Amino acid sequence: MIRLSAHLRATLQRTTPPLLIVLSAAIILLGKADQTMFESLRTTLTDDAAPALDAVSRPLAAAATLVDRVRGLFEVYRDNRRLERENERLLQWQQIALKLSADNHNLQALLKAVPEQTASYVTARVIANSGGSYVRTVMINAGAAQGLARGQAATIGEGLVGRLTEVGQRASRLLLITDLNSRIPVVIEGSHVNAVLAGDNSERPQLVFVDEPQRIKVGDRIITSGEGGVFPPGLPVGLVATLEHGIARVEPYAELSQLGYVLVADYGLSGGLPQPAPVAARPARRSKQPAADEASIR
Amino acid sequence: MALQVFSSPSLPRVNSGFGRVLPMATTVLAALIAILPLRVPGYAALTPAFALMAVYHWSIYRPDLLPAIGLFAIGLGQDLLVGAPVGVSALILLLTRTAVLRFRRHFVNRTFPFVWAGFTLLSAAAMLTGWVMHCLIYQTFFSLRTVVFRTVLTVAIFPVAGFALGRAQRTLIGVAAAARPG
Repeated sequence: MIRLSAHLRATLQRTTPPLLIVLSAAIILLGKADQTMFESLRTTLTDDAAPALDAVSRPLAAAATLVDRVRGLFEVYRDNRRLERENERLLQWQQIALKLSADNHNLQALLKAVPEQTASYVTARVIANSGGSYVRTVMINAGAAQGLARGQAATIGEGLVGRLTEVGQRASRLLLITDLNSRIPVVIEGSHVNAVLAGDNSERPQLVFVDEPQRIKVGDRIITSGEGGVFPPGLPVGLVATLEHGIARVEPYAELSQLGYVLVADYGLSGGLPQPAPVAARPARRSKQPAADEASIR
Repeated sequence: MALQVFSSPSLPRVNSGFGRVLPMATTVLAALIAILPLRVPGYAALTPAFALMAVYHWSIYRPDLLPAIGLFAIGLGQDLLVGAPVGVSALILLLTRTAVLRFRRHFVNRTFPFVWAGFTLLSAAAMLTGWVMHCLIYQTFFSLRTVVFRTVLTVAIFPVAGFALGRAQRTLIGVAAAARPG
C-alpha cells in the first residue's frame, strides 16, 4: 500500500510539470481565440488583490512625494522666478479668457445652444502597473462602487491618460493610450484633420488613418474628436513630436510613466460602449459605423 | 531525467513551517514587487523580472519546495493582474524551472559568479522566449531594444535578489546547498 502510494506520488511528480506546461500553452491559445474568456476572472482577481496592492503602494507613493518635496527645496528659488513670470503671463490670459467666456456665453444665448453636459470626476490612485509585460496598463483603486464604468476616460491635469477597460467593485484597469490595443479617435486642432491615435507600446503613439497626412506638422496639438461617442470631444491628448517616413508620432501631455493619481471623468457617454457579450450584440445607437475605437477594447 | 531531483535524498527535510513556505512566499512577493507603481520614467516597461530570479534561486537550492503547480498559479495570477495574455508568464516560469532542474547539478555548491553567469544565460533565454510568444500572440514585431534593456536590468539586479534570497534561506531553511559567497 505504502509502496503504491509512493509510486503514485513519484508518477504524479514526474507528470505534473509537463502537463502544466501543456496546460499553459492551451490557455494561451484559448485566450487568443476568445479574448473575453478570462475577463470575469481578471476582474475578480483584480478586486481581490486591490486592498493588498493599495496598502503596499501607499508607502511608495509617500516616498515619491517626499523625494519630490526634497527636490523642490533645492529648486525653490528657480521655481519661484519661473512661477512669477508664468503668473504674469497667465494674468494676461485670464483677461482674454474672461472676455472670450463672456462672448461665448452671449453667442450661445443668441443661438439658444443646448448647454454641454458637465462631467463628474472621480480621483483614483494608481496601485499597480504592468510590471515589464507587453501591455501598458495600470490598476487604480476605484471601481463600480465609486461610480466608474467601462470605457470612461482617465485624465490627469495635462491630458488624456487612457480609458477603463475592466471595472471591478473597488478596482479598475486602465488601458493607457500607449498600449498596443489603444485606438483613440482624435483631431488635429486648428486644421480639423481627423485621425486615429494608435498605441504601439512605445512612449509615443502614432497617428493612423489620417485624412490629409500632408497637413500634419510637428508641434500640432492633438485633441480627442469625440467620434464613436466614447470620449467627449476636445480633451487634450498631446503634441505631434516627430514626422518620419510619413508617420506622425504624438508626445502625450500626460507623463504616463509617472502616474500617481488619475481623474476618471463620466461624461454620460457610456451608452455607446461595447459591453460584455450579450449587450454588445445590440446595434450601436450613437454611430452608424462601428468606430475603430470600439473594436479594440479588450 | 532532471525531474527526478524531487526524490533525491540530498535535500534535507525542512521542519520549520516558515522555511517550507519560504520559496513560494518569496516568489509570490517577487511577482507582486514587479507590479508596484514606482514613479520612475520608463520603469513600467523595463521592470526587472523579479519572479524569474526567485524561480532560478529556488529551483537550484530547494526545488522540492517550489512545486510546478505553485509556479503555474503565480504565472496565471501575474498575467490576470496586469491584463497580459493569460498563460504566458506561467509557461515561462514553468519552462525556466524545467531548464534549471535539468542543469541543476552544475550549479549546486558553486561560487556566486558561476550562478550569476547561469542566470544571465537563463534570463536571456526566458526574455527571448517571452518576446517570441508575444510577437506571435499579437502578430506584431515588438522592439527588441526594450527586451535587451530589461534583460540587462534583470541580470544587474540579480546579485541583490540572490543575496536576499540566500540570507532568507540560511536563516529559515538552513545552510545546506546555499550559494557560497564568491
